Amino acid sequence: MTERILNHKILGAIRHEFVPFKWNGETIYGVEGESLTAALLANGIRTLRTHEKDGKPRGLYCNIGHCSECRVTIGGEKNQRACLTPVKEGMSVKQQTELPHLVKGDDSHV
Amino acid sequence: MFDTIIIGAGPAGLSAAKILQESQKVLVLDEYFHAGGRLLGQLYEEEKGRWWNGLEIARRLIMETEGKSEIRLSTSVYNVELDDIYTVYTTAGVFKSRSLIIATGAREKSTPLPGWDLPGVMTVGAAQVLTNFSRVKPGNKGVIIGINPLSMVIAMELGYTDIEVAKICLPPKNKINDQTPKDAFETLVSLGNSAPSKFISFGTRVAGRVKPLHPAALKLFPKGGVKAMGLPISIKEKIIRINGTEKVESVTMQKTDSKGRPVGRKREIQCDFVCISDGLAPLSEIGSLLDLRHVYSEPLGGYVPLHSEMMETELPDLYVAGNVTGIENAKVAMYQGQLAAHRILGDEEAAICTLASINNERKNAKVKFHKDLIHGRETVEAMWKDLGKENV
Ligand SMILES: Cc1cc2nc3c(=O)[nH]c(=O)nc-3n(C[C@H](O)[C@H](O)[C@H](O)COP(=O)(O)OP(=O)(O)OC[C@H]3O[C@@H](n4cnc5c(N)ncnc54)[C@H](O)[C@@H]3O)c2cc1C
Ligand code: FES
Repeated sequence: MTERILNHKILGAIRHEFVPFKWNGETIYGVEGESLTAALLANGIRTLRTHEKDGKPRGLYCNIGHCSECRVTIGGEKNQRACLTPVKEGMSVKQQTELPHLVKGDDSHV
Repeated sequence: MFDTIIIGAGPAGLSAAKILQESQKVLVLDEYFHAGGRLLGQLYEEEKGRWWNGLEIARRLIMETEGKSEIRLSTSVYNVELDDIYTVYTTAGVFKSRSLIIATGAREKSTPLPGWDLPGVMTVGAAQVLTNFSRVKPGNKGVIIGINPLSMVIAMELGYTDIEVAKICLPPKNKINDQTPKDAFETLVSLGNSAPSKFISFGTRVAGRVKPLHPAALKLFPKGGVKAMGLPISIKEKIIRINGTEKVESVTMQKTDSKGRPVGRKREIQCDFVCISDGLAPLSEIGSLLDLRHVYSEPLGGYVPLHSEMMETELPDLYVAGNVTGIENAKVAMYQGQLAAHRILGDEEAAICTLASINNERKNAKVKFHKDLIHGRETVEAMWKDLGKENV
């Protein structure tokens, strides 16, 4: 589990107002306006998607919109960068998963 | 129709807006949801007791531009065309302007190694934003792979929140990175008078009573590294693999000699996050979209659009400012933004004055990204001047 830094030695203390939002249909809480990557990490969620081709877990990498490793489905819209998206009350975020193989069909992974 | 569109609401873009907005209709575009660019995560001690708090500086710049310039966030620019005026295509519509400033900043470079795609592996910059801006710990115990000014600064920042950094050492050698213990040692020494290098020169002097850059100093550098400002820096250790199934669980470390050749057995270090850091490179795709000529400069961080020291480019009314012109600190980026704005307004006197401030800051910068930076700047300026001769 990763923690929030409520007291920072140099930046001082902060207080948060938490709002609910949905991750894969389950209600979790984040700070309104913080990045989705931060909110999910603070909830102990590191795996943001599984790779389209080999199904391996992937998480945030650059956290500033450059690498697209953090892509998730937000409100039905695919491939949104979680690190560039602020948390909003009630938003629905879903993990993206392995895609069916075009030739071998749904069960095949390679 | 705007007088000037600025791409990037970092220190360079906002500083330009602040000047232009007094007499122009200005639009600033940024794909992040908060203005400030990379300032948002920056935090270090410039001098004893005097802190560079990037978030505070960003807030001030935002206050000074809000309402006076139009600032559109969560808006990515994906194409730009020139046809008498500039047309900027974004995820929130198309905008037009007479002048354009590219202030897109820098990206982080990475050296891939086995296991680098596991959740929990991130760039040092990602850890910086999480820790100082979002105030969420990237993990409880981390390993940093890559020794450079940015990784040293950020390692210290993690320390301010009691996140344990177990090791800062080198990546494995591969085709895109062959940083040797000697290179790393020179980087540490060239960090100027910032804390780690002071400690290292002290440490090596005690060890061998030799000057830090003397070849013997490298040999004397302790195998297990040194503790500088609480940072466990090790130039004779490499991380060769990151391990874990669902997420990072450990890294595999290999000791080396001073030439970087493996010696002795491998060891595992437990950790729950890993930061990869291979320095910064200018983010100049927009310049490429406009077919600007780019030049490669190692001291500036990579390919930069050919530009003058006055921030002009080959195209009319197109300016560049900030890290897109070469990797430097945020103060330089701010001055460069101001300089571009003065040039757009035709204020020659203010432009010359700002250029002097840039040169001054460059000499005295606390965070130096490359030891030959000034030389790199001179080379690009000489190429710009040659271009002028070509066109005569
Ligand atoms: C991860 C990271 C950490 C850094 N840490 C430090 C540090 O600790 N100390 C230090 O001195 N320097 C640091 N730097 C260097 C930093 O680049 C400068 O300090 C300074 O922030 C540069 O300012 P800028 O305005 O040129 O660019 P930035 O501050 O990077 O701002 C550029 C802005 O442009 C936006 N942008 C880019 N492309 C697009 C597009 N296509 N569409 C819309 N918006 C776009 C970005 O979202 C960003 O907000 C760091 C750089 C990086 C990348
Ligand atoms: S983590 Fe790189 S784009 Fe979001």
